[in-house]
Amino acid sequence: MAPTIITKTEKLVGQRIRRKEDPRLITGTATYVDDIQMQGMHHACIVRSPYAAAKIAGIDTKAASALPGVVAVFTGADTKDVGPVPCGASLPGLRVPYHHILAVDRTYFAGHPVAVVVATDRYIARDGAELVEVDYDPLPAVADPEKALEAGAPAVHPEWADNIAFNFHQEGGDTAKAFAEAEVVVKQRITSQRLIPTAMETRGVVADYNTGDEALTVYSSTQIPHLLRTLLAQMLGLPEHHLRVVAPEVGGGFGSKLNVYAEEALMGFVAMRIGKPVKWIESRRENYLCTIHGRGHVDYYEMAARKDGTILGLRLKLIQDLGAYHQLLTPAIPTLSVLMMPGLYRFKNIQADIVGVFTNCVPTDAYRGAGRPEATHGIERMVDILAAELKMDPVEIRMKNFIQPEEFPFATATGLIYDSGNYDAPLKKALELADYPGLRRRQAEARKQGKLMGVGVSTYGEICAFGPSPATPAGGWECATVKIDPSGKVTVGTGASPHGQGEETTFAQIAADELGVGMDDVVVVHGDTAVVPYGIGTFGSRGTAVGGPALYYALQKLKEKIKKFGAMLLESEDVTFVEGRCVCNRSGKSVSLAEVAGASYRAMKLPPGEDPGMQATYFWEPPNFTFPFGAHIVVTEVDADTGKIAVSRYIAVDDCGKIINPLLVDGQVHGGVAQGLGQALFEQAVYDENGQLLTGELMDYAIPKATMMPWVESHHTETPSPVNPLGVKGVGEAGTIGCTPAVVNSVVDALSVLGVRHIDMPMTPEKIWTLLQGGQA
Amino acid sequence: MKIGGVYQLPVARDRAYSMLQDPAILARCIPGCGGLNRTAGNEYNMQMKLALASISGLFEGKVRITEQNPPESFRLAVEGKGKIGFMKGDGLLRLVDKDGGTEVSYVGDVQVGGTIAAVGQRLLDTTAKMMIKRFFDQLAECAGQ
Amino acid sequence: MIAQNFEYSSPASLEEALQMMAGGDAKILAGGMSLIPLMKLRLATPGHLVDLSRVPALDGVTEEKGNIRVGAMTTHFQVESSALLRARCPLLAAAASHIGDMQVRNMGTIGGSLAHADPAADYPAALFALEARVRLLRVGSDRTIALSDFLVDTFTTVAEAGEMIREVIVPVEEAGTGVSYQKLVQPASGFAIVGIAARIRKSGGKISMARVGVTGLGPMPYRAVGVEKMLEGTAGTADDIRKAASVVADGVDANTDIHASAAYRARMAAVYAGRAIQAAVSRAA
Repeated sequence: MAPTIITKTEKLVGQRIRRKEDPRLITGTATYVDDIQMQGMHHACIVRSPYAAAKIAGIDTKAASALPGVVAVFTGADTKDVGPVPCGASLPGLRVPYHHILAVDRTYFAGHPVAVVVATDRYIARDGAELVEVDYDPLPAVADPEKALEAGAPAVHPEWADNIAFNFHQEGGDTAKAFAEAEVVVKQRITSQRLIPTAMETRGVVADYNTGDEALTVYSSTQIPHLLRTLLAQMLGLPEHHLRVVAPEVGGGFGSKLNVYAEEALMGFVAMRIGKPVKWIESRRENYLCTIHGRGHVDYYEMAARKDGTILGLRLKLIQDLGAYHQLLTPAIPTLSVLMMPGLYRFKNIQADIVGVFTNCVPTDAYRGAGRPEATHGIERMVDILAAELKMDPVEIRMKNFIQPEEFPFATATGLIYDSGNYDAPLKKALELADYPGLRRRQAEARKQGKLMGVGVSTYGEICAFGPSPATPAGGWECATVKIDPSGKVTVGTGASPHGQGEETTFAQIAADELGVGMDDVVVVHGDTAVVPYGIGTFGSRGTAVGGPALYYALQKLKEKIKKFGAMLLESEDVTFVEGRCVCNRSGKSVSLAEVAGASYRAMKLPPGEDPGMQATYFWEPPNFTFPFGAHIVVTEVDADTGKIAVSRYIAVDDCGKIINPLLVDGQVHGGVAQGLGQALFEQAVYDENGQLLTGELMDYAIPKATMMPWVESHHTETPSPVNPLGVKGVGEAGTIGCTPAVVNSVVDALSVLGVRHIDMPMTPEKIWTLLQGGQA
Repeated sequence: MKIGGVYQLPVARDRAYSMLQDPAILARCIPGCGGLNRTAGNEYNMQMKLALASISGLFEGKVRITEQNPPESFRLAVEGKGKIGFMKGDGLLRLVDKDGGTEVSYVGDVQVGGTIAAVGQRLLDTTAKMMIKRFFDQLAECAGQ
Repeated sequence: MIAQNFEYSSPASLEEALQMMAGGDAKILAGGMSLIPLMKLRLATPGHLVDLSRVPALDGVTEEKGNIRVGAMTTHFQVESSALLRARCPLLAAAASHIGDMQVRNMGTIGGSLAHADPAADYPAALFALEARVRLLRVGSDRTIALSDFLVDTFTTVAEAGEMIREVIVPVEEAGTGVSYQKLVQPASGFAIVGIAARIRKSGGKISMARVGVTGLGPMPYRAVGVEKMLEGTAGTADDIRKAASVVADGVDANTDIHASAAYRARMAAVYAGRAIQAAVSRAA
């Protein structure tokens, strides 16, 4: 559908409007970290360990230091007082290894930073890095989380005898009773493989220290500039008010930039030591080796049910591959999986045991969905496995177990309060769009001809809009500032730090509607701690769902002030603010927003009790999470000769509450589905048994390309969230969460004629072919 | 990565075995080897230049021969470290009389790390096989002299 | 991702380029789709790069006495879209259309690809089926050899120091020949897990000529002569094709990597050989 052309009187919220940020992005005039140039800027290149585990017997930096153009070489001995790299998550009994910014005497994963070479240009820095001689004594490594749990496995951190970072138990209801009463129990091992987030822009940092002011400015490709500032100040021992963090244009994050990395502190350290600006730009190879990975689950599920399909309870043993360290949220991610375990279903007996396991790999952390795709994949697979066991239709079994609209608010066994939902609605709409009975007829005919066709149905529920502060490590609120210039133009500042989601457009829509001005009268600024007030950041589908309400309330606050100034100018108490004008309801006289704003700055006269100026700030604390939901239906055809899977139809019906801009929502769904298809069909971070990353480049790590995508039919139902005044819920992760189980369910359905019950991702042609030969994939 | 294979050498088993222990012959047969320097009984240092299509790199390496059981079997370990990564190979070689010559079979493990491991995945197996083939082809040539 | 220092030359004539190459330590830049990534990772560290992109008349497709000459610097996109090749040697154009992605096809060249001798490149399958020849130039030498003599091993050709590919020579396809290139693609790199090119001619209801080229399966691409022999003289029924295709991997030490095991590759070679031959047979008049 083409974007709509807006007539003046129409509301902007709800319209398909093209993004305000796109012209600069598509004409190459946006400023990313690597576009930043500064007088006297130096360049850093990081020396990294080729071994997953090794003792550092010695580092010789003489040759590197002697290279003309190299100004400094630092090793772990120089930086050991900086840091540690912080972990923001806390769990009872959590083992937290000390995470130096440069390895001190041992390396823990392939790519571990060991030294940094600083030079007058990038080329010399790279040449210098090659001259740093590191004497490594290789040690045994372990890369597989289940092997890491075996007796006698190499200890990733020698200070602990085993590789268990934590055990976490959560239980709700009476699971033992549920399983004792069950008429049927199905069990399955389900994995969610390690993925590499692969943002188009790799990470990058520019650090600039002003020795006169003793002030440091760090430009970083980050999703969380404010949190980064707070944590970086601690790492560097710098007063927080002497540190400014700027997130310039950020070319994608998907959670991989919801973090505080060693390199961010390292560049701050270097800039302070050399007194000159320094730039580090991550190569794609470093990005794959050293930026967090996602997923990394091995899950053992057991589901108890009655013969009529009523689900009674669920047990899960979850093995989380943590990698070698905890990054910002590493150990918290699997706990989100547990929160999500009830899915959309009524059963209240759940038992989950998480084992967090250290491996000699780069840490895992939040990647689009962060714990929730893993959980949704698990439960939606289990529901299909149960349906197959009971010979029930996958749609029927879901509808039988859904929480019904009148049951909200619904307290789950994992301690959440689902506020609203109408789970039948998107599923029914998807079934209708797909012509589900017609698909089943076609499938029956295809089977007669010996063809393998599958229909996969998956529903999902999400926890979004992180979140109420008590449930979030660093506060879960968001902030907005609205400022009207003397000329009547509007600047919105948001503490959420959008990086591709399009809030410069959606927030302008919200502000323009509330203030009765045009889209072009509003700019949205973000990502600079010196420009916008403190905020938490964009992740967990919270940018619009938490940042949007903060903006809404700031606008209401400002509208009160506008009305007071309007009343003063119109010399009337009975004034309405409508269509960008203050109107006297008696005389019909009006003044424009610009006239009101101008008067507020000139301040010749002030309304009683009012300050000059036209600006309002609001910090909004959400009372609850939001709970979006949806249904995806996927039709696949499997080539019996090769095992190749073709996705012939993809129908997504997502309920993300009130839609501010359908064009952007569809874009989020398309992107999410692309990453879901990537996981379902080909993506996989592969380490060999010695901890070498074999998918170290885009030549071996298969991300989905445009030409590989099916047409995604994106549709919606709209059940407004009662949690916030906009009724929005968040949609950034919906596609990734809904996708993988729908695709796997579809392929398992196609292969069910051969007795196949489950297939682990990625479903590569060879894996499918092996199953078709009667083997174990 | 597991490797394994069989080669036929046109010499008697005793001669084949002694060739395979001879540093001068090994130096000629290990692809890119610039010569072996004995450091201990059956341990040698070497410099190796790997050159394959556009890829090239210098490696500081070691060769070690252990578990000698003439003329039937021995273990050969080769390792190299360079700027583009490291590699380590360890294999058990068995010699049997066959068709008037000697059949050498090997099974072992190859470990590769660093840049070459991460970017050359697609070609590692092919390349390892080619290097081993070159080694034995060269050995067969030496045997013929 | 920063290359080591190197000297860069961009000669304006063939003579100049050959003179630069004569020293023997220069490396040709012919599109750079494989070389540049290797240089950025410092896996390749040539001291001197000779960029052929400014040398006139090194690209282009021309017909001459029953042959088509494809200049070494002809891009994959030029090969794919050449009206002459599409009409007179469609197999080569078809193979080119499967290479990498649009960006790679706009930059990469046929000469660069052949000189790199990647065991999974698309061109060699078609060029083996076409019994192509390669013309090599060096100061004082101009030789034309069969592709089967040019490629000697994984990433290895017979080109000597200072020698460069001038052009690739393929025959004008006889009317009535049916051709097809079928490929199982590795989704990350776009290289072939296996790729099969087939050319079929029929006469009197029987296959009179079969040529089958294979890439991706083993240490180097090859012509599957065994398959060809089994096809020739048959009526080209589904059964004939299946039987012939089943021997495509015989005697080949199939590659294994994280994308496909040797067993799967070998089996897919047979499946894709069957498909390519079937398509070629159906197109042969």
